[in-house]
Amino acid sequence: MSTQNGILVVAEPKDGKLANVTLESITQARALAVWPVSVVVVAAETAPFVAAAGRYGADRVYVVETPEAAVFRPGPFIDAVAAAAKAAEPALILCAGSPDGRDVAAGCAARLGAGLLVDITGLEAKDGGFVVTHPCFGGSVIVEKQATTTPAVATVRPNVFAREEAPKDAEVVALPADFTPAGLLAKVLDVVCENLGIVSLEEASIIVSGGRGIGSAENFKLVQELAAALGAAVGASRAIVDEGWVPHQYQVGQTGKTVSPQLYIACGISGAIQHAAGMQTSKCIVAINKDPEAAIFNFADFGVVGDLLVIVPALTEAIRRRKAAS
Amino acid sequence: MNIAVCVKQVIDTEAEKRLDPATWRLDRNVTCILNPYDEYAVEEALRIKEAHGGEVTAVCMGPQKAEDAVRKSLAMGVDSAVLVVDEALTGSDVQATAYVLAEALKGIQWDLVIFGVRSTDGETGCVPAAVAERLGVPLLSTLAKVEVQGSSVAVHRETEQGYVSYECPLPAVLSVIKGINEPRYPSMKGIMGAKKKPLDVKDASALGLDTAQVGLSGSKTKVLSARIPEPRKAGVKIEDDGTGAQKIVEFLASQKLV
Ligand SMILES: Cc1cc2nc3c(=O)[nH]c(=O)nc-3n(C[C@H](O)[C@H](O)[C@H](O)COP(=O)(O)OP(=O)(O)OC[C@H]3O[C@@H](n4cnc5c(N)ncnc54)[C@H](O)[C@@H]3O)c2cc1C
Ligand SMILES: Nc1ncnc2c1ncn2[C@@H]1O[C@H](COP(=O)(O)O)[C@@H](O)[C@H]1O
Repeated sequence: MSTQNGILVVAEPKDGKLANVTLESITQARALAVWPVSVVVVAAETAPFVAAAGRYGADRVYVVETPEAAVFRPGPFIDAVAAAAKAAEPALILCAGSPDGRDVAAGCAARLGAGLLVDITGLEAKDGGFVVTHPCFGGSVIVEKQATTTPAVATVRPNVFAREEAPKDAEVVALPADFTPAGLLAKVLDVVCENLGIVSLEEASIIVSGGRGIGSAENFKLVQELAAALGAAVGASRAIVDEGWVPHQYQVGQTGKTVSPQLYIACGISGAIQHAAGMQTSKCIVAINKDPEAAIFNFADFGVVGDLLVIVPALTEAIRRRKAAS
Repeated sequence: MNIAVCVKQVIDTEAEKRLDPATWRLDRNVTCILNPYDEYAVEEALRIKEAHGGEVTAVCMGPQKAEDAVRKSLAMGVDSAVLVVDEALTGSDVQATAYVLAEALKGIQWDLVIFGVRSTDGETGCVPAAVAERLGVPLLSTLAKVEVQGSSVAVHRETEQGYVSYECPLPAVLSVIKGINEPRYPSMKGIMGAKKKPLDVKDASALGLDTAQVGLSGSKTKVLSARIPEPRKAGVKIEDDGTGAQKIVEFLASQKLV
């Protein structure tokens, strides 16, 4: 494995923009000074994504523009990324650590016979190759890994690398939309938005989560209001998902989402090992719990022993006042 | 309508993780369970079988003791199982695992292959897509709803905002998420019956595997080092005396988080 021919970042479109994790991957690729940094954009309309890739410093952008790519399907996306990989011959292909990104990364790696490095939180160029960091078992073991192939494929955990603009006139290379028939067999019927306004948990830099301590489904609005005041995403423990108080998309933990925000505020969550598995790599953890012995206090950076029904609304008010004042 | 479900035995999260310093491999001599996500895959396969007929086969790669996880799926109602066990397979990474599973799947009859969305110890969520690619069959992952309609399948793929619905002809490879169904508990009768159900234990040569592509040496990723990080330490803990909210704001401000 070498670093020759640089890094190819697979763009993840999200709500008409490039997902933060794509911008983070481009920034990190540039920080390694392994040139060129290329980006592949697969979409029905690629222009806004191409512009964003250039703004973050991509040297070259491969575009595959076709109505077939309006909504994600693994088949055509894998075909397109494989074509870009053939054109760029990169040493490393970075995909988003998201459901779409994992499908593309795993499919491409299988097709290219490449080593697959999953859910990386560190990336270095060392001795002419790449070394990645990967937390496993809910962050309880940290490994350093390397692929033995060129290219290697990796998925990047959102929210770990910085994101910095570095505008550049990226060279744009159009690739034909040549898709294998098998990949086109799955047909998109409908795109349904049910939870408009949800901030993506994996990409959020602040998360406010509620657990059984909120006491009732109605009280979840206390969590939502605090989140809104902070511009945060909302999360939940499994206990209240199982109660049916919130949809399961909110669940953080071993059988929910793995998150690494800058700030995680746990309200009425006991801190069971399965919950911790999904959030203990958060940079800062604040806990509000009325039980001084709750496990969450063993790993929270700042804990308040008290009634969340009183503290959370007061905190929301205080944050609102502070934001209004600034 | 024959269905294959891929089931993995995983380390119980409650168990303490120990690393073998020579190989960086996890000590698997601890409590192991059927991967919780795979219970949803098994349940979904059983429901489809109950509605449309056919057979459900579980496919597992793992050590001999993974038989316990496989037996659990049989106790839930799976008809038969293939367990791939071989010393040469230990240390297989995602792609090596996908190769083995794809080869095992080629040896049985199926119209659908159902996976859990991820394993709670490997946590890659990548095996399903890698297997689908190797089989040359369309993949639909992260599914919250699966409905077989004649020779095709209609699914809902979960997104942050809701879902996307797709339709795909069979054969297809699917992965399902928590919440798609409520996995059944094995009944006493199921548990007793599971002991008599056919469980085909195969080694690498029985599957005709190229051993250069499997195990620690055949994997295209290498672990350079592994460490157990210092556990997070308890920080400040205060009793709320009416100023708790204000104290949080001050802490957040000191950390430049607000
Ligand atoms: C295989 C498996 C997988 C699992 N996966 C997950 C997972 O992905 N995510 C997950 O979260 N869990 C998971 N769990 C469940 C986990 O073990 C816990 O049961 C769960 O996290 C508990 O949720 P909780 O903290 O909200 O509830 P509880 O444990 O009931 O805790 C509620 C807390 O609220 C506090 N409280 C009560 N009232 C108030 C108040 N008025 N003010 C302040 N504090 C108050 C209490 O002191 C208590 O500490 C899993 C379990 C298993 C077996
Ligand atoms: N060794 C294995 N044997 C059988 N199925 C597996 C194995 N490893 C992974 N799987 C399947 O692939 C899914 C995703 O696992 P992973 O990619 O490890 O997160 C699991 O839910 C299983 O359905």
